[in-house]
Amino acid sequence: MALVAVLAACSVSSDVSREIGARCDDQDECDDRCLTGVRFPGGMCSSSCDDDSDCPDGASCVNLAGGACLYACSADPGCTFLGDRWSCVAAPERGGEPDSTVMVCAAPQ
Amino acid sequence: MRRPAVILALVVLAPASARADSEPAASQELGAALGVEAGGRTSPGGFHLLGDYLYQLSDEDWFDSGMSITIGSGAAGCFRDRDDDFLCDEGIAHGFAIEGFAGVRRFFAGQGAFAPFARAGIGARLVSFRGDDVIGFALPLQLGGGIRARVASGIAVVVGSELRLGIGWFDRELGTEPQIGFAVHAGVEFAL
Repeated sequence: MALVAVLAACSVSSDVSREIGARCDDQDECDDRCLTGVRFPGGMCSSSCDDDSDCPDGASCVNLAGGACLYACSADPGCTFLGDRWSCVAAPERGGEPDSTVMVCAAPQ
Repeated sequence: MRRPAVILALVVLAPASARADSEPAASQELGAALGVEAGGRTSPGGFHLLGDYLYQLSDEDWFDSGMSITIGSGAAGCFRDRDDDFLCDEGIAHGFAIEGFAGVRRFFAGQGAFAPFARAGIGARLVSFRGDDVIGFALPLQLGGGIRARVASGIAVVVGSELRLGIGWFDRELGTEPQIGFAVHAGVEFAL
């Protein structure tokens, strides 16, 4: 039990990771790519994708920044962990039905 | 930190059964071993190479000191969370460490050529995660044990495992970090 407790204490607890969600200014800070610009305040680590299967659980593949995984959401409170300027917005789905949209976390245009 | 200290005291101070007859009578030995160490977060892991010097203190106890190197992947594992805090979640086999250590190995009664032992010690290690440009200094307690088998006059084969628990100090805003690792290794020891 003590060992389990120590192991738990040594794990990093964070909503974000180098794979998706971490703040970044350039690609070196991420496993794949760093999204920057007004749609991604503070920068955000993400992955390039062609459809949802390329994205981590809880993320959707959208036609922004040439195809990127963004956190899926249903309302603004689901995006507040990314920062004040993030909202739940509709974005063109990538790899889905033509003209379909999905709700993801990003800053409004 | 209290429990490791108690275990250390028990290993060092508790009465022990007689050391196996098969143990070499030499009062000094040199050893080398190869194994793997599992780390994580800011604890290094990877291939583990060590060399040690053993000096006989009593029938059961040997002073055990030496150097070890842990060589893992140079992949990056650190990131900035949304509050801009710098965190590291290194993999099980990331990083590099070079360590000096000292401790006590206590042998227990064995069977034939085999002699089990327990070991407690402390290390001082420099730790580096090249992929994240992070370096630090750590002081891990080492708690473990194994079995030594004498295979020829003055030559023994050793297999063992070790838990490392401690604390480290790192740069790049990380500050104080817990250290935990688990190593298994096998090697050879020669009587001097």
